[in-house]
Formats: sequence, C-alpha cells, structure tokens
Amino acid sequence: MQKVLIQDIKRGESILEARGITKRFPGVVANDQIDFKIRVGEIHAVLGENGAGKTTLMKILFGQYQPDEGEIFIGGEEVRFKSPLDAIDLGIGMVHQHRKLIPAHSVIENIILGHPHAGKILNLKRAEKEVLEICEKYGFSLDLNAKVWQLSEGEKQLVEIIKALYRGAEVLILDEPSSALTPIETEKLLISIKAMSAGDLAIVPFITHKLPIVLQISDRVTVLRKGKVVSCIDTSEATEQSLAKEMVGREVVFRTQRTTVKKGETILQVDDLSAFSDKGAMALNGVSFSIREGEIFGVAGISGNGQRELVEVLAGLRKPEGGSISLDGEDITYADSLKRWQLGIGYVPADRIAMGSIADFSLIENVTMNYYFDHEYYRRGVLDTKKIRELTNDIIAEYDVVTPGADIEAKCLSGGNLQKLILARVLSRKPRLLIVDLPTQGLDVGATEFVRNKLIDAKKEGAGVLLISEDLDEVLSLSDWVAPIYEGEFMGILPGEDAKRELVGAMMAGIQLDEESA
Amino acid sequence: MRIGSHELRLEKRVSLSGWQAAGISILAIIVALAIFSIIFILAGINPLTAYAEIFSYAFANPFGLPLTMNRFIFILLCTYAFILPFAAGLWNIGMAGQLYAGSLAVYAVLLALGVKEFQSVELPVTLVILMMLIAAMLGGAFIGGIAGFLKGKYNVNEIVVTMMLNFITFWVVSFFIKEGGIFMNPGGRGESFELPPSLQPSLIFGVPFTIFIALGVALLLYFVLRKTKIGYEIRAYGENPTAAAYAGISNFSIPLLVFIMGGALAGLAGYHYFAAVPGVYKIARTYGSFGDLAFYGIICGLISRGNPLAAIPVAFLFGGLSVGGRFVQGKLGMSFGVDFALLGVLMITLVAFQFFYRYKFIWENSEGEP
Repeated sequence: MQKVLIQDIKRGESILEARGITKRFPGVVANDQIDFKIRVGEIHAVLGENGAGKTTLMKILFGQYQPDEGEIFIGGEEVRFKSPLDAIDLGIGMVHQHRKLIPAHSVIENIILGHPHAGKILNLKRAEKEVLEICEKYGFSLDLNAKVWQLSEGEKQLVEIIKALYRGAEVLILDEPSSALTPIETEKLLISIKAMSAGDLAIVPFITHKLPIVLQISDRVTVLRKGKVVSCIDTSEATEQSLAKEMVGREVVFRTQRTTVKKGETILQVDDLSAFSDKGAMALNGVSFSIREGEIFGVAGISGNGQRELVEVLAGLRKPEGGSISLDGEDITYADSLKRWQLGIGYVPADRIAMGSIADFSLIENVTMNYYFDHEYYRRGVLDTKKIRELTNDIIAEYDVVTPGADIEAKCLSGGNLQKLILARVLSRKPRLLIVDLPTQGLDVGATEFVRNKLIDAKKEGAGVLLISEDLDEVLSLSDWVAPIYEGEFMGILPGEDAKRELVGAMMAGIQLDEESA
Repeated sequence: MRIGSHELRLEKRVSLSGWQAAGISILAIIVALAIFSIIFILAGINPLTAYAEIFSYAFANPFGLPLTMNRFIFILLCTYAFILPFAAGLWNIGMAGQLYAGSLAVYAVLLALGVKEFQSVELPVTLVILMMLIAAMLGGAFIGGIAGFLKGKYNVNEIVVTMMLNFITFWVVSFFIKEGGIFMNPGGRGESFELPPSLQPSLIFGVPFTIFIALGVALLLYFVLRKTKIGYEIRAYGENPTAAAYAGISNFSIPLLVFIMGGALAGLAGYHYFAAVPGVYKIARTYGSFGDLAFYGIICGLISRGNPLAAIPVAFLFGGLSVGGRFVQGKLGMSFGVDFALLGVLMITLVAFQFFYRYKFIWENSEGEP
C-alpha cells in the first residue's frame, strides 16, 4: 500500500480514523464500538482510567492487535495492519512508556537501529545529516554522539521521538509521555510536542493522570471509560473537574482538604540520621525530625535525593551510618525489619511489583506478607489460612479491588488495584507509623483520590504518616509538615500552612531557607 | 498453521491443573520411549521386546523389584534434598557431597561405639540405629549448611559451593576408607568396615524401613511448604527475595535453613544405601557411582516442579528404568551405557515437554471467518 503523505492533506482534516473498533478478550470487551479521528496538526489526548481500554486501542492503531470488528482509515483509505511494521510503513510512530533503547550505544546509533536505510554498511554521516534536519525543523537540541546511558529520562524520550520521526512517522502516539519526567523535563517535552504539531504532525498522547497537562497542551480530548468513548470534545470546553468526572463516572474531589486533628504523643523521633546509597556514596546526610500522632510529615523532592535511603533505613532494610531512630521512645536504630513491623511500623514501598508484592503469589498469599508473623494468624507454626482468606476478602470488598477473586495471582492486577491491595494490607495492621513512598505514582485520578483519602483517615485515627512524594501538589495538600529534600538533606521543615508552592519548589532545587526569613 | 478448513495454533495456557501436568508427563514418557526405540532397532532388537524386558524386570521381577525399590528410596530422598532449597529459589547440586558426609558420620558413630573392633554393640540396637540416623542427618546438614551460610551471609553462589563440596567430600571419604584410613575394612578392599548383622535393619516385605522415612518426608514437606509459617517464608524468599526482606523475612536464615534441612535429607540417603540396603552394609568401593545417582534427584525435582508428592512416581520410574536398563543391556548383549542413554533421552523429553505446561495446541474449525 502506498503511504499517504501528510503534506497532501489539509491541516484540520483527518489523517487517521478508526470506525467501530471492537476488541474482545476472554471475559471482557476491551474496546466497544470505538470511533476515533485524528486531524492533521492536532494534539489529541486520550484519557481514561487504568483498564478503560486505552492501551488496547493504541495497540490496535499501532498494529500490535487486530480488531475483532471495525476499520482503520489513513487519509481516507482503508488499511489493515498485520503487524507494527505495516503501521510504521504507513507513517504511524509510537513512543512507549518504557524506553526501548540500547544504553551502551550512541544516540545516532539508536536512532538508525532498524531503519531501512541502515543497510549492511552504516552511513552514519548521511544519517546524522538527515536527523539533524529533523532536529532543526522542530527545534530539538540533542548531542547525537552522546551515549544513551548518559542521558536524562527526558532526553531518552526525545531520542525515541526522533527515532519515530526519522522512520517517517506522521501520526505520533505517546504513551504516558510525562510519567517518568521531572517537572522541568515535562515543560521541555510539552514545548517539543507543540513544535511538532505546529509542523503539521498529528500527536496522540495517552494519559491516565495529570489532567493539567491535558488541558495545557491538547486541542481535543477523547475520554474512554470501560471500553467506550464517553466524550470527544475540544479541550477549550473542558475543565479538570469535567474531565475527571467523565473518566471516573462520578464527581472527584481534587483538593483534598488538609484536616487538622488533635496531635498526640511523639511516635517517631529521628536524630542526625545518615546512610550510604548502594554505590557507597553518602546519600542521606544527617536528617532530624519527629512525627506525632495525627500528623502527616511530607518529604518533597525529586527522586534520587536520598528519599529511598531514608525510607529503607526507617523500615530496617538498610543499615544507618550514623544517628538514631526511636519509635514510641524505644530505640530501634539497629532493629531488623520484622521487629519494626511488630512494633507497629507499616511501610508501603514505592516499587509495588518488585518489593511490595509477590507476582506469582495469590492475593491471599500477598496479604499474608504482613500477617505471617502475627500470633493471631498462626497456631503451632501452621498458618490460619481461613482467617487470612476472610481478611483478604474484607480488604477486596472494602477497598474495591477489582479482581475475579482472592485466589488470583497478584500479577493479574492492574497497578492501581495492586496499590490498593498493598495499602489496605498495611493499613489493616493499624500501624502506629505509616511510611508511604510515592503512593499515587502511576495511578489514575479515581485511585489517587482514594489513596489520599485513606492516608487522611489513617491520620485521623491517630497514626503518624511519613509521606514521600515527587508530586508537589500531593505533599502540599496533605501534609502538616513539609520537608523539601535535596542531596540527602532537609532544606528546612515548614508547617503545612506556610509551605507555599514556589518556596517549596525552590527549596527542592537546593536553596536553603535561612532562619530569619522563615 | 492451516490444514484444510482447520487451523492449528499455539495458545498460552491460563492455568494448569495437577492432572493436566501429570497427563503431559505421561505423554512425554511415551514419546521418549518411542524415540529411544530407534536405538533398539539399530541394534536389531524389537523395541517392544526390549521394553517388555525392562519393565517386567524393573517392576515385576522378584530380583529386579527390590533393586528398584532401593534406588527409588535413594533417589526420592535426594529429590527432597533438592526440592527444599529449590522452594527457596536455591539450587542444591551437592546431594552427593552431603550424602557422603552423612555416611561418614554414620560410620563415625559406629567407630566411637567400638563396633569396628568388636563387631557388636552393648547399647540397644534401636537406640544405635536412631543414633546412626541422627548422625547421617547431622553430617549432611553440616556440609549443606556451609553452602547455606555462605549464600546467606556473603551471597556466594550456592551452585558453585555445593559442587565444590562434592569434590572435597568425595576425597575425604577416600581418606577414611582406603588404605590407612580409620574406617578401612580390615580386609583392605578399599571400602569401609561392615555393619555387624545385629545392626542390619530387618526388611519389610523385602524393602528397607527407610521407605517409611522417605514417604514420611514427602507428606511432611508437602504440608510444611503449603501450610506452615516457615514454609510460607521459604516460598516467599524463593519467589522474590526483595519482597521477602520487605516483609521481614531474613535473607540470612532462610538460605541457611533450607540447606541444613536439604543436607540432612541427603545424609539420610547416605544412611539408606550404605547402612540399610541388603548386601551393602558398608561404604562400598564404588561409592562414587551412588554420588552420580544422586544427581537424578535434581531432574526428578525439576520434573515434579517441586511438588513432593508428584516426585514419588517420578523417582520410582527413574529408579526402575535405571535398574531395568542395566539388566536389558546385559541380557540382550547391547553395548555399555544403554541404561544411561535411556535415562538421558527420558530426561530431555520430560524437560522439553514442560513447554506444554505453558502452551497448548488449539485445533479449531476456522471456516466461516473472513
């Protein structure tokens, strides 16, 4: 089939169109009669909760799945993709959420990998010239000879975008484009996306959360819910509230209101705590703070500034190099992690797949992770599986975990549901101190709201909460105390009401707060 | 693949029941025997006759069946020595070394009681046999524990350590039983002194009492791994050590524990062959070949996918075929190594067929579709 050239289509007319797309999987209809149209030069965001059918639709448009019903048109002609190769040949490019680059190779080598022009003998000079033209056209700046491992996440993503453009993409599908990026990199990405759409490309970012980004950049937005298109409107007519409501199917409260409850005894006291990173560098450099009953203590910062070391030391998974930790007055600086669970520390790790759950274990066995050591759940060394099963069923019901049953393996759950399960499991222990690391990362709007409300409930019930987050809005809206962290040190500890966005943002970037101005 | 109006394709399985797994394994055995028929045909022997000989000798012959049972018990204990660390995601390649150490410990007890010198014991026989069993477990546990300790404390690869310990203990045994060794047979035949008849445990229907130990271990392991707190900790560590550490499960004690227990089971296998099998009752000159036989524990453990009950028929089959294969080689005048070749083909086929644990063939009428 001949490739339709985008220059031949007028700006504003449709380049890619899907009509009546239906895709069924055993037990579910992932896409149900979806109509979808992308015009030349537009940024068309696709919104939907986890499991709404976005990924399936995207895979159909990119040729990874074949639809059970429905047709796809490019420039008015019907097409059939047998594989992604067909889609690429017809001008569809895709940038996945997870990078697919070779770290040891240079940028240009990665870009030409798999390109038909790259024959048996590489003509890097010519490729470089052509790639530079693309960069110039859209105003990208990138060192083509740098090795990929040296690049930041944002630059790696740009490499993937350029790679798709160099393969001749006219419609560019971006999956969760901002999910791994820092705020500054996200800004840069948005500028790049604008530049590309101004140059006549059609761009389809798929986004589950971060509604502000949708409003900021897209021209139109399609919202999916349970496999169906619930709306397709111009972004100018939408608000954050209206989009969230359509996605979730009910009203969503955005600004979780900070509620102050009576503060009680000091639960956690940390003094001058230091720790090394895995590489042996000083990653946590003498932090001191305390958390009382009914308080949320928020640590704000870009990942990699010592947050991971801090929570691991507190959870007993990493040896401190100095300082002390005490819980309810008992020194636990060198207690092992089991001891800490028993004393009432509950920890929800950032990595829910590698640390927070066991993929091949059933949900019941995953709940057992926090109960196997509890005397009420075993007798003479034999686990009381009946009791744990009841507990698991209660958790599934109370937290609305979407699953066919408690015997299903954890790997079958979506990210949001897995996070609910882990949080529910930890909270069901009624911890004195709750440590939550990036609790809403990668979750959709509904699940995020749910998790945040649960943190507030825990605080109301008198727990102390240590919240680690990269999401400034999250920290600011939830915390009684905000501690911006930079290179292993707190830049200050601000009372929640005094923590203004600009101030905390500056402190996260390493600007120390001097005593007088505070 | 399309054949006429039907389509044959592979599909990923969603789940696999125990019976389906058993069916696949039986199919694999039939295919393996069919493949191996080629060897018999090349040697001018009717494969059906050969298999009839193998199976009737191994499983229905008054001379062959006891041999099969002896090997079955031995392989089964070695399988459990493999399965337990395997549940924790660790590979015990050291059953040979562990069973050598167990056997040495058994004969050390006898030496200490003066059995070598006087060919009799003053203590009650049951007590001495109990002491021998405990010594066997301690000996195996000691060698296994080294690997477990190094793994838990310093994260040293357990495969390398257990393998090296096999070599070390092999020569340690030689040191004790060969010329000048303290366990040396007074006749100087390069083997250990013999058990006096009073310490030779009586047989039950021609089978050593150790079969009850092996089957008891089967039930115990099945129960412990599935139902108990410690079993849960072992499996959690095996599936995901990072998540296990998060949940407070020690990354030191679990490897140590499973290797101590695994080593103890292998030690029992040593007691079985060198102190309970009729006609042996000593550490034989050819003890090395029993070390080799112990390796079938690995393959039986893998084929039964770590299920202690499924391991019983698998170990029985391997025990029987190793006996029957050797017999048919002599009887039909085939060249050396037919028994090993047969077991080898069987192993490879069984492992290859595990593909169907994850995939299945779908055969459907594709007519009427566009």
